[in-house]
Amino acid sequence: MVFILMQSVALIAQCTLEMKGTVVDADTREPLGYSNVVIVELQKGAATDESGNYIIKGICPGNYTVRVSHLSCESKDFKLEITADLVRNFELPHSLNELKGVSISAERQKDVPIQAVQEITGEDLDKTRGSSLGESLKGVTGISELKTGSSVSKPVIHGLHSNRVLILNNGIRQEGQQWGSEHAPEIDPFIATQLTVIKGANSVRYGSDAIAGVILVEPAAMPDSSGVRGELNLVGFSNNREGVVSAIAEQRFEKIKALSWRLQGTLKKGGNTKTPDYYLKNTGYEEENFSWALGWNKPTYGLEVFYSQFNSSIGIFSGSHIGNLTDLQAAFDRDEPLEQSGFSYHIDRPFQRAEHELLKTKGWLLTGTTGKFSVTYARQYNLRYEYDKHRPLNDALAALNLPELTYEITSHSVDLLWEHNSYKGFTGMVGCSGMTQGNTFEGRKFIPNYINNTAGLFVVERYRKNKLLMEAGARMDIRELTVYEKENGIVNSYEYNYQNFSGTTGVIYDVTKNIRITANLGTAWRAPAVNELYSDGLHHGAAAIEIGDTSLVPEKSWNAIVSAMLFDHNRFAIEISGYYNLINDFIYLKPVLPPTLTIRGAFPTYRYEQADATLKGIDAMVRYHLTAHTELHVRADIVRAFNEEANDFLQMMPADHFEYGATINLPEWKKTKSNHLMLSVNQVLRQHRVPDEADYVAPPSGYVLLIAEAGTILTFGKQAIHLSLTVTNLLNTSYRDYLNRFRYYADEQGRNVSLKIKVPFQFTKKNKFI
Amino acid sequence: MNIILFATATLIVTNIFTGCKKDDDDPTNPGTPNESELITTAVLTFTDSAGVAPDVTTIFRDTDGDGGAAPTQFDTIRLQNSTTYFMDVLLLDESGSPTDTISNEVEEEAVDHMFFYTQSGVNIATTYLDSDSNGLPLGLQTRWVTGNVSSGTSTITLKHQPGVKDGTQAPGETDIEVVFESRVE
Repeated sequence: MVFILMQSVALIAQCTLEMKGTVVDADTREPLGYSNVVIVELQKGAATDESGNYIIKGICPGNYTVRVSHLSCESKDFKLEITADLVRNFELPHSLNELKGVSISAERQKDVPIQAVQEITGEDLDKTRGSSLGESLKGVTGISELKTGSSVSKPVIHGLHSNRVLILNNGIRQEGQQWGSEHAPEIDPFIATQLTVIKGANSVRYGSDAIAGVILVEPAAMPDSSGVRGELNLVGFSNNREGVVSAIAEQRFEKIKALSWRLQGTLKKGGNTKTPDYYLKNTGYEEENFSWALGWNKPTYGLEVFYSQFNSSIGIFSGSHIGNLTDLQAAFDRDEPLEQSGFSYHIDRPFQRAEHELLKTKGWLLTGTTGKFSVTYARQYNLRYEYDKHRPLNDALAALNLPELTYEITSHSVDLLWEHNSYKGFTGMVGCSGMTQGNTFEGRKFIPNYINNTAGLFVVERYRKNKLLMEAGARMDIRELTVYEKENGIVNSYEYNYQNFSGTTGVIYDVTKNIRITANLGTAWRAPAVNELYSDGLHHGAAAIEIGDTSLVPEKSWNAIVSAMLFDHNRFAIEISGYYNLINDFIYLKPVLPPTLTIRGAFPTYRYEQADATLKGIDAMVRYHLTAHTELHVRADIVRAFNEEANDFLQMMPADHFEYGATINLPEWKKTKSNHLMLSVNQVLRQHRVPDEADYVAPPSGYVLLIAEAGTILTFGKQAIHLSLTVTNLLNTSYRDYLNRFRYYADEQGRNVSLKIKVPFQFTKKNKFI
Repeated sequence: MNIILFATATLIVTNIFTGCKKDDDDPTNPGTPNESELITTAVLTFTDSAGVAPDVTTIFRDTDGDGGAAPTQFDTIRLQNSTTYFMDVLLLDESGSPTDTISNEVEEEAVDHMFFYTQSGVNIATTYLDSDSNGLPLGLQTRWVTGNVSSGTSTITLKHQPGVKDGTQAPGETDIEVVFESRVE
């Protein structure tokens, strides 16, 4: 093969050149110690010493990309031709905006985050491939998973979820059916090269609802060098015999440099999940997703169009469908579900079908040297069908096989943003956004028709001086919700207006080179959701009657997070954060007595009420290098949630969670590299901090699970193949989790072996596959 | 590479022209909610097999379905002692107009349904008088034989057991479950 030959030729060439120099901060001209300077093509690099000096030896002559990065700066690529020994100094911008060059990475607003932020990217993201968004995020400290059976998973940040967690899909607020715990985010994680979790209240930049935090699902910037490249991912899971295929390809044209494209698609199909002792009937699911993007980017302006479609069908475990409390009680009392089955891929009633479509267009323009202006328009369309277990008794109706419930939400949004470059130490942005959204339903009523209009205006400024970075922001929002209901043949409309001010302030202080303190105070608000205002009836599956209240007011959170990071490059890294979240008028379901009498028996009844609540806790992660090849880590997530007015605990809060793990990095061997073995122990304690009489059964016991993983990268010439084998629930332990709504009916998934294969590929003019 | 490019271009162009999916409904003009088959009313009619004691009709009625307003009628079963009654169940959906007779549908799908009667404290013995095509009891028609004067409760349960009906109460999900006060006088 040509490329192998070429590489051999390169190896014979003189590889004795060296490059050295200093890395400095572009703003302050101070040397940047502990920066990394890497020659991307050679995978060769060096770290700078305390004075910012580096030296790289043994370089072959050639054209290279040198990537310079530092903990508190955006990494930056430089193109170099090296023909002789070279002294080269690099400047790193603290804020991306000032020095961003031609590349479309200009698109990405990525300063040093002042909030408590955690990212999943690169290898860590690879490990989650094939999993849903909720599952992918559970590796982040402070995040847990709210599940409905084995197939529906939602991320929980510091004890809060659903309407209180804002998800941005490629920069656009996800507007789907977020209200219920049984509605997973309609997003394909394969579109992302980075998942970012911003913990804490954060309404200023992203708008309302970010009471607990924000999740960013971010694709890579459009390609900045020519040639076709891409990636093929194959994942298989043993437990439910699931297969996942996902591929992405992208190109920047050689002749028309401004033009680039990307195409991505994912297919997923899984069958019934198996607990250690039995299969869960009707728990198969399938997904078909695709997206494409087109970019036209010039040095001073650009335009991008992005389109994605998500389609999923999810079987709902048959044993969870119950008619009344007697059925529910019988389900608790049985060790195993009464209705069982063998393995099957077939999805039968009850099931849900969800579709989500996003069209985004974004244009940007450099406003001279002062900054960058961008405008974004997005349209989202969300469709959800719910098919009950019960077909209609009426034969004619049953034959139509219609969903019992259909929702359609269409949203249009426009965002304007101006980001300004550093001026006397200040950088910042000002922006406004508007959205109009319509919801319609057919079939059984749960959420009425509505039109929701919102508008917001915000400004964020940050100031940097030496070891200190400060940020402050403010935002004003208005929201107008009109609900339309047909009552006795006449359509009545009800209007609700909400407005709110939110603010944020934060500081990062580098005490020494090895200690960084981050403190953030933020507010966020959330208007009552339509289900909280309007639900009135039996919540099927929950076996409870829920009654909304149209007089609810927005809830508002005041959130403080303080984090300390201590690191010694080759020895350890400790990150610990403490948070305190006060939520005024927290909306929750309060039990009402007596139970409601219906023809199906008496049902426990809950009413949406408001009270001041507090959530406080600690996230901690410690990594310690025992030897050069062995790393140990310990993680702890602790949340305490309290209803201050009722003087009682809040329901459905994550139990204390600890993780202990060891990773062994093995040396390169023959054609393999990045060989590693990992074993981790996950311990979840029993949640005993629950309100009295708010649940049918006591929370399940705590549990301990083992996870093992082995990974390698095989290289055949320039072609790399990433392989990893993971076993979750290694000991096939039977357990139930408090945050799974199906804990009443069945055990969790048993042992699951997964194999992940990633094949990156690249076609350039020089080395074509033959 | 050209194939990939061609496929991409084709897909994108097709996607642009076929356009996005659309909601054809107008949010400001909602339709009428369709509560797919509500059972609002159970009427139990007792007839003395000897034709001596008067007929007894006992009704549970909650016309707005689960939740909302409380049931408007919830009678007590009052039967004569030492009497043999035939009992017929009539299930209605009175939430709309015209009233729908749900028990007819239950009869049509007899193989997927079964009524269960549980007496507690009250001296009544119940036996099935009807069955489905598989020979398993249905329970739309039953015989109630009363004993001595006593009082307690009679629970009537309708289970929906598609594919899992085996003559026992455990499988399936509950369509109705009403606990009537009952007296043998």
